[in-house]
Amino acid sequence: MPVYYLEIIVVVLGLVMLMADAFVKLEDKRNIAWFAVLVLSVVFLLLFKVSWPESTEGSPFWKFYDAEKGSRGFSLFFKGIAVLTTIIVLIMSAEFRGVLLKYTAKPEDGAHPQSGLSEFFTLPVFACAGLMWMASANNLASIFVSLEAVTITFYILVAYMRRNVGSLEAGVKYLILGALSTGFLVYGFTWLFGVTGTMDLAGIKEQLALDSVNVTAALFAFALIIVALGFKVGAAPFQNWIPDVYQGAPTPITAFLSVASKAAGFIVLLRISGCFFGSGDLSEKVGAVFVVLAILTLLFGNLAALPQTNFKRLLAYSSIAHAGFLLMALASPITLVADGKEPPLLDTSIGVIAFYLGAYLLMTLLAFLVMTAVRNQQEDDSLEGYAGLAKRSPFLAFSLLVSMASLAGVPLTAGFFGKFFVFKLAIQNGACGWLIAAGVIGAAAGFYYYFKVIASMFWNAPAEGNDGPIPVSMPAKVVMVLLIIAIFAVGIVPNLILGLIK
Amino acid sequence: METELTLNHFLFVSGLLFAIGLAGVLLRRNLIVIFMCLELMLSAANLSLVAFSRFNTTDGVPNYDGQVLLFFIITVAAAEVAVGLAIIVALFRSRETTDVSDVTSMKG
Amino acid sequence: MSQDYTPVLIQIVIASGFAVATLIASVMLGKRAMRNTVKDSAYECGMNPTGEGQARFSVKFYLVAMLFVLFDIEVVFLYPWAVVFRENVANAPVYFWGMLGFVFVLFIAYLYALKKGALEWKS
Repeated sequence: MPVYYLEIIVVVLGLVMLMADAFVKLEDKRNIAWFAVLVLSVVFLLLFKVSWPESTEGSPFWKFYDAEKGSRGFSLFFKGIAVLTTIIVLIMSAEFRGVLLKYTAKPEDGAHPQSGLSEFFTLPVFACAGLMWMASANNLASIFVSLEAVTITFYILVAYMRRNVGSLEAGVKYLILGALSTGFLVYGFTWLFGVTGTMDLAGIKEQLALDSVNVTAALFAFALIIVALGFKVGAAPFQNWIPDVYQGAPTPITAFLSVASKAAGFIVLLRISGCFFGSGDLSEKVGAVFVVLAILTLLFGNLAALPQTNFKRLLAYSSIAHAGFLLMALASPITLVADGKEPPLLDTSIGVIAFYLGAYLLMTLLAFLVMTAVRNQQEDDSLEGYAGLAKRSPFLAFSLLVSMASLAGVPLTAGFFGKFFVFKLAIQNGACGWLIAAGVIGAAAGFYYYFKVIASMFWNAPAEGNDGPIPVSMPAKVVMVLLIIAIFAVGIVPNLILGLIK
Repeated sequence: METELTLNHFLFVSGLLFAIGLAGVLLRRNLIVIFMCLELMLSAANLSLVAFSRFNTTDGVPNYDGQVLLFFIITVAAAEVAVGLAIIVALFRSRETTDVSDVTSMKG
Repeated sequence: MSQDYTPVLIQIVIASGFAVATLIASVMLGKRAMRNTVKDSAYECGMNPTGEGQARFSVKFYLVAMLFVLFDIEVVFLYPWAVVFRENVANAPVYFWGMLGFVFVLFIAYLYALKKGALEWKS
């Protein structure tokens, strides 16, 4: 099956869901979500069965859709991240329906009691199609369109609970800053096009490696693009939207944002920075920018997380911190390639970033699943609300324990190898000392704030009013158990993820 | 006096538009005005795209790649405006304000 | 293309300076200084004003206007397609079916809007 059929299936699935909501009488709108989960699971399996065309010459389609031999495994891997995240987000959303319905419009007389719910399941599917396409976009036009498809969908999803002040405010903030970053991105693309005279990433790389290239203008374009993408991945100093938007958005969407949106940002960042790393003069300057960004992000994300008292905000800062580690991998590109041979996967930035994102997906989604279950029982997202969780629901407490330990990077969990490979890459490729120092400070600070959560869960007594048991629905429970197993499996045998990339 | 229009003229106007848009976003307080300024930034990019495309010719034919992106930018901007205005209207209905300094219930 | 863009970069700096200066000037010289609550209140022949000065638009108006803009702007893609249609469609039917697929997606969107009552003026 040709690889682009996957995106088509996902888009058609989205359309079918819209039509099903409009024309089919359903007692329980959650059935739409279950249907989507089923189809997306099939798509996920199909990822292992796709075929690539023998030759891409002459067809206009392949000008926009990547089929380069070296990057096929990675684009499939990132597509897999997108599909898996969407599946889990849909399950989370079905779980979250009580809170959602409370804050969307009150249904009028005669309207379906769950009206307004099914779009919440449909939009992530469209975002997923955009994310999958982005993993293969190799042209400035297709990068722009897929990125915007995802971003605009997120505007709606973040502001979805329109009777909730926080959600609406988060939506407005995300809208203004997102549109601002789009402006920068487009202007940067324009200049990149002006400097190189082509929209094709391979062509841009060729042109930038020439001596005749105008370095000032190329760097201007790069600066504009890095502002925009720095915003998308949440790199300091463009991170200030993250805590507010994460706190205000509906919890499943926060999870979607922190995993899928970040992964997407990094794919684009990798592809575009790859164009600049081709030539000596540019790559030196571009590399320096990444080092500075990585140091700032690592320090800001980890240190600002220390005093947080709201669990959702804490995870927001934690996501900035993880963006810092990913940037650290990006800032340590390989310096020497021996005789045109393929370097081992873990000696390349893209290999390490792919591994890190895979591990990050597992542990972050697990944390958000727990948060969704807790949020169903109480309004409170603050850390105090999680005090004594071990007494209220030992299963949730154990899940959160695994997730936090992995996020902190405790050995035997997936997060440990993520951080380990990043540090290994940085030291191997001779990254500057400040960068490694910032990484060490960040990792150490991480231990403190993640363990603060664990300590409060196990040693503190439940707060007044928030002490009832917390039920977990069957699908969510199954997903959580699978995620816990995956975290330990990857933590013991990291080759599991590496094998998937090939 | 007649001077020929060069690429730099277009780029200068485009840079001006972009800067005005950016300054508006940073300094204005009304959400609708901010949103208009954001659209101005996209228009600035569109202008320079057309200019680059027009002045970057091979055998007298402009490089149409730039104009392809232009079409996408226009449509995406329209979608963004539709969604954006809907969110701003929702905010106005619940808070009776479109001033950014009122959108600050979250801190930390 | 290897023209020298450096002057343009300098121009952009000047441009941003210009933009900021204009905006600051408009704030400082603007009518804000000559404004107070009494002046801003509506004058209704000595009566205390009641209600808002402007009538509110119905939200339906926004909805229909936005849907119009969205469906209207998609036509943009039909023009370049129509221009190259004659030379390309003969040797590659994918151009035809591709556009048909695009229009089909719009059609689904239209059906959805119709069914959800977004195009009804009265309700």
